[in-house]
Amino acid sequence: MSAADTIERTAPTGVEPSASGQGSRTRAVLALARFEARELLLQIPVFAFLVLYVVYTGWQMFSGREGMDDFPVLQDVDRDTQSGPILLGVALFVCVNRAVLRSRRRDTDRHLDVLPMDPWRRTVAHGLSVVPFAALTALVVTFQFTWAALKPGAVGHGSPAELAVGPLSVLLSGILGVLSARLVTSSFAAPLLVVGFVAFGTLVSVGASDAHWERWLWPSISEMGRTALPSDLIGRPAAWHALYLSGLVVLLLCLAVLRGGGRTRTTVAVTALALAATGAGIAGQSPGDPASLAAARTEATVTPQKVQSCVTHGRSTYCAYPEWTGRTADWARVVDGVQSLAGGAAGGERLTVRQRVDARYGLDGDAALAPSTTRGTVTVGTRWGGNRTPEFAVGVASVLVAGDEESAGTMCDARGVTAMWLALGALPHPKTAFTNVTLDDHVDGAEVILAPTNPISLTSEQTRIVQELLQRPRYSVVPKVKAHWAELTSPKTSTARAAELLGVPAGDGGTKTSDGDSCGG
Amino acid sequence: MPPTVSASGLTLRYGGTVALDDVSLRLGEGVTGLLGPNGAGKTTLLRVLATAVPADRGAFTVLGHDPGSPSGRLDVRRRLGYLPQTPGFHQDFSAFAFVDYVAILKELTDRTARHREVRRVLDAVDLSDVRGKRIKKLSGGMRQRVALAAALVGDPGFLVLDEPTVGLDPEQRMRFRELIAQAGEGRTVLLSTHQTEDVAMLCHRVIVMASGRVRFEGTPAELTARAAGRVWSSTERDPGARAGWRTGTGSFRNVGDPPPGAELLEPTLEDGYLLTLDGETAEVAA
Repeated sequence: MSAADTIERTAPTGVEPSASGQGSRTRAVLALARFEARELLLQIPVFAFLVLYVVYTGWQMFSGREGMDDFPVLQDVDRDTQSGPILLGVALFVCVNRAVLRSRRRDTDRHLDVLPMDPWRRTVAHGLSVVPFAALTALVVTFQFTWAALKPGAVGHGSPAELAVGPLSVLLSGILGVLSARLVTSSFAAPLLVVGFVAFGTLVSVGASDAHWERWLWPSISEMGRTALPSDLIGRPAAWHALYLSGLVVLLLCLAVLRGGGRTRTTVAVTALALAATGAGIAGQSPGDPASLAAARTEATVTPQKVQSCVTHGRSTYCAYPEWTGRTADWARVVDGVQSLAGGAAGGERLTVRQRVDARYGLDGDAALAPSTTRGTVTVGTRWGGNRTPEFAVGVASVLVAGDEESAGTMCDARGVTAMWLALGALPHPKTAFTNVTLDDHVDGAEVILAPTNPISLTSEQTRIVQELLQRPRYSVVPKVKAHWAELTSPKTSTARAAELLGVPAGDGGTKTSDGDSCGG
Repeated sequence: MPPTVSASGLTLRYGGTVALDDVSLRLGEGVTGLLGPNGAGKTTLLRVLATAVPADRGAFTVLGHDPGSPSGRLDVRRRLGYLPQTPGFHQDFSAFAFVDYVAILKELTDRTARHREVRRVLDAVDLSDVRGKRIKKLSGGMRQRVALAAALVGDPGFLVLDEPTVGLDPEQRMRFRELIAQAGEGRTVLLSTHQTEDVAMLCHRVIVMASGRVRFEGTPAELTARAAGRVWSSTERDPGARAGWRTGTGSFRNVGDPPPGAELLEPTLEDGYLLTLDGETAEVAA
């Protein structure tokens, strides 16, 4: 078919959109938003950071790099989803800004401004073009959270408002790109603004760390201490923050539309509503922690027994915060394993495993737990899996050997060797576990061994003896431990004597590393 | 048949400069040429008719729609194809994406129908083979055809072309003339140009502007007829001629009021144009 045929075939009567009226205009805006979204996806920064975000999230989910991932605390998992999309948001900010300025940069305004779609509707379309990326982020976040929630070891409760922050941050970044393009028509403005935001954010985070209301003006507020708190003690105004972000997204888009000439009654009304929502969000999220929350945190820290429920597994009792009661069976398996290796009365001792956190300083608090002075009481934290499991085994073994956690902190000589062998010998991969519970993650000479409360110090000789014992079959060590239990757990027994009792040859550097009388307990 | 475009008394000032001075015209189906020197007001008139700028005074309608109100302006824009002078392009877009983008801005919302229409106009301007190529990789002539395709998409009833052949080599210009002629079949095309050849070859009507005013409106033959008996040949440049230049044969072609007994020549459209300007600056090939 020739070109002439093509033109002759039609009778030009002017552009007739598929339907006239507001509906067709809205459809045109949506069509343009789809077009712009596709163009955004073709931009290298957006594509690269989107792929990076998805791949990194997938790698985090499937790599299983830390055993703790098998025991997620859902009120922490929801917040974990917020930092991943930040780079995607930055890329969108820059690329949406460039897209809005494209017609100015390429001098097509003269042409495009006489087309039926008003410039302010193009602004709306640019804003909507970010929605697919926010939706994709929401999908990744949902998958990430669901994956964690479906794990058998999962505990706690996630917050939909916390989960909404990632997608809302992406949306906000894009809308900021639109607004900044409507306010400053230079292409260099967006990269400079990114630098400015980072610098300002750094200044705020350094200079006003205590200003609660100021911190919560940022899209994503990371509060990641090492301790997982019960969800009712977290005290984050997540719902207000989600309202604030939602209102801000709409407000900034409305300002961009108004700036682009869309001064319709609808725009003004939506602007007012968005302003009200943003204000309400700020007002709701700004007050600090209420007194009732501080009281609840103190109670959960100082008198956990008031808020915990206890169950009995075998000989021992396990007390947990309500969200962790399902985990007591995991703790019991470790306790039973350690106790099965112990001799004397320790093998049948009734222990109390008490879950504890220091919640007084909120999520940012990172205080170490004070050791319990109550005989037969073992502390367990709110994290589980990975290194936390052998650390708990060390805590159990220490209490079986020393009597209580405070005494275990000063334990040395034979008791140190015995406690470490008890703890590690009960685990499926004792040598790996030994490496994991050391402070520096390798076994070489004197070591500090991590436990839920006080760490335990091992001399080089003690470390060597424990390593020797771990080389041997468990069945060959257990009878000796049980047979010499009283002597091995006496504070007066030296390391050399312990080696002798357990059949480990003396080391090259001498057999006596410390005097048993100097040991605590 | 009622005119596609009807304007009366269009006046527009930029500061102290009168860009349009009481311009009235009527345009019907086919290609109408708009001739005039630089600063004559051609581009301003096209921008007013394309609703890019409003006139200070006067009124016009396009296919019966008055752009004086927002809804009327929208109706006009829905029936308009506009190719601006030196159009800009989104260089990173492919030819297809750019025309598709313009089609969306023309509110063609059905994706399948829109893509069919984009393919149609790209085919019409003979760019089907390079529709996936980025605009920055296309030649100047191809880019100009992309701009024409963007103007044609949606099948507008009124096509405004502002000096579309500027910067094109002779072969490209010929190809473009062919496209404009095709576009003028069944619709109204207003073609602004410096090239009297374009008008002579394409237009069924011609408007000559100077200093913001319409100096002539009629057919090319009528404009040519204005020079009948006013073009003559001489061995030297005739000092009484309004314009004169040496031709390839070595003799001079003079335009103006011939002396008695002068050897009269057959007038051309360009001669009529020069005489119509009557002292205004004209840019013609000399």
